[in-house]
Amino acid sequence: MSGLLLQIEGLRKNYGARRILDIERLALHAGESYVVTGDNGVGKTTLLRIIAGLESAQISRYQFEGRPILLENFPQRLRQEIIYVHQHPYLFKTTVAANIGYGLKARHLPKAERETLVKEAMEWAGVAHLNHVPPQELSGGEKQRVALARTKVLKPKLYLLDEPTANLDAEARRQTIELIQRLRLDNNCVLIACHDYELINLPHMRRMTLTDGRLLPQVAAASQEQII
Amino acid sequence: MDLLQPTREAFSLLFSGNPELWRIIFISLRVSLIAMLVVTPLAVAVGFFLATVAFPGRRALVILIQGLLSSPTVVVGLLLYLLLSRQGPFGSWHLLFTQEAMIIGQAIIAFPVVVAFTLSAVQGADPRAHETAVSLGAGTTRAALTTLLEVRFGVMAAVFNAFGRVFSEIGCSLMVGGNILGLTRNIPTAIALETSKGEFAQGIALGIVLMAVALGVNYALAFVQGEGGLK
Repeated sequence: MSGLLLQIEGLRKNYGARRILDIERLALHAGESYVVTGDNGVGKTTLLRIIAGLESAQISRYQFEGRPILLENFPQRLRQEIIYVHQHPYLFKTTVAANIGYGLKARHLPKAERETLVKEAMEWAGVAHLNHVPPQELSGGEKQRVALARTKVLKPKLYLLDEPTANLDAEARRQTIELIQRLRLDNNCVLIACHDYELINLPHMRRMTLTDGRLLPQVAAASQEQII
Repeated sequence: MDLLQPTREAFSLLFSGNPELWRIIFISLRVSLIAMLVVTPLAVAVGFFLATVAFPGRRALVILIQGLLSSPTVVVGLLLYLLLSRQGPFGSWHLLFTQEAMIIGQAIIAFPVVVAFTLSAVQGADPRAHETAVSLGAGTTRAALTTLLEVRFGVMAAVFNAFGRVFSEIGCSLMVGGNILGLTRNIPTAIALETSKGEFAQGIALGIVLMAVALGVNYALAFVQGEGGLK
């Protein structure tokens, strides 16, 4: 197994009096793909958003690459390493290329370098032909691919993908799954929350189940019935 | 009353390039455009702040700003008059009966309009826009500007609406401008004066310009919004 990338201990999240998450330990390694399954509303999205620093929670220890991180003031440096992609990705009302280059611009990369990286990312995701289409007019699958390209171009160490194949038709789903597999092959760490049988049972996928707020390892491959 | 004759004269005044008439139009545009340029950045920032940052008393402040939307412009003019008059706290600035006083008055009138519309536009923004910007590494300012850009049609509507309000207001301009020909006489104050004198031609000519600008602003807004504004 590759190096430990992220380690979280004692994660607790309450909504009012109700405890949503009660996770003793979560460890993610570089170059590995993880999937979290569980019923709707069990807290999968919340877990991903907490890891990404988009939601607060009680956490005893949050370590990234061995360094302890204080989540109250989520450091900008960590935003460059961990990127969360919404279930229905939001594309800015600009162009596909501007969307993909957004994070690079925020990092103040020179224009020429940005353009090269954006072009590469568009080819990687197979969206180069969509640059003249307004982002709002893209299909769900195309939006998902643009969002993945927009994330990949920043070379984060951890991808947090929330239901990346939900509501996609068969072809869009196949393309998205292929991109996710390529992310893993490029030695990235990917954590996915989903119900997608095919995605869960991909080879090398490490499976976990979220039940009653607790994260349990799932050794055997999931069956469709189990997921549904 | 025969309306045909003064209307004919009005068009003749407009197209003959009557310098007095065009000076009034120029003053109106200058004052209102500068007022909007001055107030827009601050008002948009305040609207964004009120929409996104929770603090004690925010609700009361939002209600106050929404209430100020319908504040009578003549009352704004009265307060400004008292502040700028010789005995007032800012009397030494000698601003009363100047275009600068009119600009300040119109900026005050436009402020709550831009704040309230921006606030509403930002509150209606998709929360994923800000989260996506932050997640992709944008700092506070860039993420805020991104959100504003995403709701640009709403913000533009705020600015255009406020311009429409100040361009046609008369109360404040009359109070702090004084309706001085060639200096502070703008379209609304000129219409009121000319009509009271029975000079309908100039009043109608200026009324046509006022309506044309008001409609033009709306068409301009629809044009810049493109299809996005209709979705």
